[in-house]
Amino acid sequence: MSRDFDWPEFVFLVGAMRWTIVLSLIAFAGGGVGGLLLAVARTSSIRPLRWLAATYIGLIQGTPLLMQLFLAFYGLAVLAGVRIDPWPAVILAFTLYAAAFLGEIWRGAIQAIPRQQWEAAAALPLTPAAQLRYVILPQAFRIAVPPTIGFLVQLVKGTSVASIIGFVELTRAGQLMVNVTFQPLIVYPLVAVLYFALCWPMSFWSLRLERKLDAALGIKRAA
Amino acid sequence: MKRRDMLIGAATAGAAGVALLAVGTEAAHAQATPPQTAGGVLDRIIKDKKIRITAEVTSPPFGILDRNNQPDGSEIETSRQLAKDLGVELELVQVTAPQRIPALLAGRADVAISSLSITFDRAKTVMFAPPHGALSIVIAGAKKTAIKSASDMAGKKIGITRATLEEATVPGIAPQGTNIVYFDDIAATLQAMVSGQVDAAGMSAFAAKSVADRNPRAEIENKFTVRTAYYGAAVRPGDFDLLQFLRTWVFLNKQNGVLARIYQKYTEIPLVDLPVL
Amino acid sequence: MSYVFQFGIVWDHLPRLIDGAWLTLRLSVGAFLLGLALAALLAYARTSGPRWLRIAVTAYVEFIRNTPFLVQLFVIYFSLPAIGIRFEAVTAALVGMTLNFAGYATEILRAGIESVPRSQIEAGHSLGFTRLSIYRHIIVFPALRAVYPALASQFILLMLGSSIVAAISVEELTGIINTLQSTTFRAFEFYFVATAFYLVMAVGMRLLLDAVYWSAFVRGRPVEKAWAR
Repeated sequence: MSRDFDWPEFVFLVGAMRWTIVLSLIAFAGGGVGGLLLAVARTSSIRPLRWLAATYIGLIQGTPLLMQLFLAFYGLAVLAGVRIDPWPAVILAFTLYAAAFLGEIWRGAIQAIPRQQWEAAAALPLTPAAQLRYVILPQAFRIAVPPTIGFLVQLVKGTSVASIIGFVELTRAGQLMVNVTFQPLIVYPLVAVLYFALCWPMSFWSLRLERKLDAALGIKRAA
Repeated sequence: MKRRDMLIGAATAGAAGVALLAVGTEAAHAQATPPQTAGGVLDRIIKDKKIRITAEVTSPPFGILDRNNQPDGSEIETSRQLAKDLGVELELVQVTAPQRIPALLAGRADVAISSLSITFDRAKTVMFAPPHGALSIVIAGAKKTAIKSASDMAGKKIGITRATLEEATVPGIAPQGTNIVYFDDIAATLQAMVSGQVDAAGMSAFAAKSVADRNPRAEIENKFTVRTAYYGAAVRPGDFDLLQFLRTWVFLNKQNGVLARIYQKYTEIPLVDLPVL
Repeated sequence: MSYVFQFGIVWDHLPRLIDGAWLTLRLSVGAFLLGLALAALLAYARTSGPRWLRIAVTAYVEFIRNTPFLVQLFVIYFSLPAIGIRFEAVTAALVGMTLNFAGYATEILRAGIESVPRSQIEAGHSLGFTRLSIYRHIIVFPALRAVYPALASQFILLMLGSSIVAAISVEELTGIINTLQSTTFRAFEFYFVATAFYLVMAVGMRLLLDAVYWSAFVRGRPVEKAWAR
């Protein structure tokens, strides 16, 4: 007497999408703050700061997200000796992950701004902090938007990994529904479609923004 | 330049890791005595009016999702009873099989009530309350898979869920040439068996019956019994006040038949005589 | 609550960890080569094929890039058997990793192909090259050099992403670690060491790939160097 996949099961799946979105947004927001700090640190003239930022980014980008999640989930409580609830541990792991990748993207955007802009701003005169704030960052922002949206897509897909530690987001909801209906042929492709519905609009938007930016910068695309 | 930065970064990370290890080990040693100060975990639970208990919802009939896709099952019902008897609110912490004990040790749950069979290995890391149920581990598979005893497993794929009693017992009796396939979740193991990705799988007899009932076309049957065990609630080492409450709680609910009622409701068989721990 | 670190237990199981890491490497390299071959075909179809083929390839690429790898694996391993396609766990992992990698690599290769200046291709036409010859002599090498960094990064992502195949029971590094930690309850120690393994592999492969780039595309090729600016 297993249940056939029906409306309540579909509602359960869509309801779980809520957690996917919430987790992604919180990690994106937190990672955004961290990423900005990292990008500035990576391009600063203070060597130790550059090395620290590079170490951190290298660690995150050189290890699997799943491992980072396991470490945060199982390791934090052990190291810190404090009780860690599941939500904070998962959010922390994804935030640290997002910060590293966003930091790299934004560093690239900052470094894409020609030196002349820095020099002109310095000649105005503006302090390095003010140069960054009023001249460089606004320009870097435009360049950074398409890949940033692209990373948001990566982040949303990345949250599926949280299912492995039992966190109930869309993928885990799919597993639970398969367990109840024993109809993986319906459930998993449906879960894929739901993710697609979530991610593709953003991917498409990012592509359009990139095309507009290229046009604005005078780059003709071949396709 | 980026590569040089990254290499230096990796080396720094390595050094930091070693330092972290040293600090961590020091801190752990410094905390060698378990906290026995006034106001143990039982007091905290009563003061906060909330108890957190692990819930595994992919382990029929101990933990399942009901018609409204809400947690249900014999262990979930048992957890509700514990919260009721304590007079506190229940918070269910959803876990997979491998996370039952880690969730408890990490402090995400105060008690683990998720059909944890009492074994020597587990007793080294957690403290068990007296058992409140019994189960048997079987090898189950499709009718057409020819397995009558352990020796027939040679050359077959046998699915096992990590961190379960079947993981602790089946590899020990499996003959040479058995291909044991490990999954992180009971749901995945059951799925693999039903979809034919494994020839047979280890699970509790109850789970086998549940899967067989729900998938008549797959024709799942018990092949043979591996062992039987008693399961009980578990708490962190050092939470003696909570453990003592659990001892008393099991005693009282055995006397008044509540444990037997819950067990029979979900497993459809009467509860056996439970020994005292 | 006190917790005494016991890394000794991890070293006891070192041979199994190495087995797992070796499978990770084999899966990653295998998926890379197969995926690259597939991507080359798809990229060619995408740039020079008939319209319906271009749309089909785009649909495939967009599907891969907008759905999680874990879900793709579940579909391959759990859903397909219901219609009679049953892959063993390691095969399913390889298929999944290959299809996933090809999705990204197709885009990378396509960008590389399109980065070759039209003037070069037109010169080929005027010299009487066939379409295939144009690809072989004019497009492939510069395109490869242009996309190499992106492909190398994608390979590292592939290798790190392989940790997910443990969820369908493959005993690569993550899978072995999960089994070991669940029996010994030394979760933190095992995950820490596994992370270190991955880091070493990622850094090592990155250095190797950089060395290959340098020797293949930079050193001793005066004609290409002058051309590439």
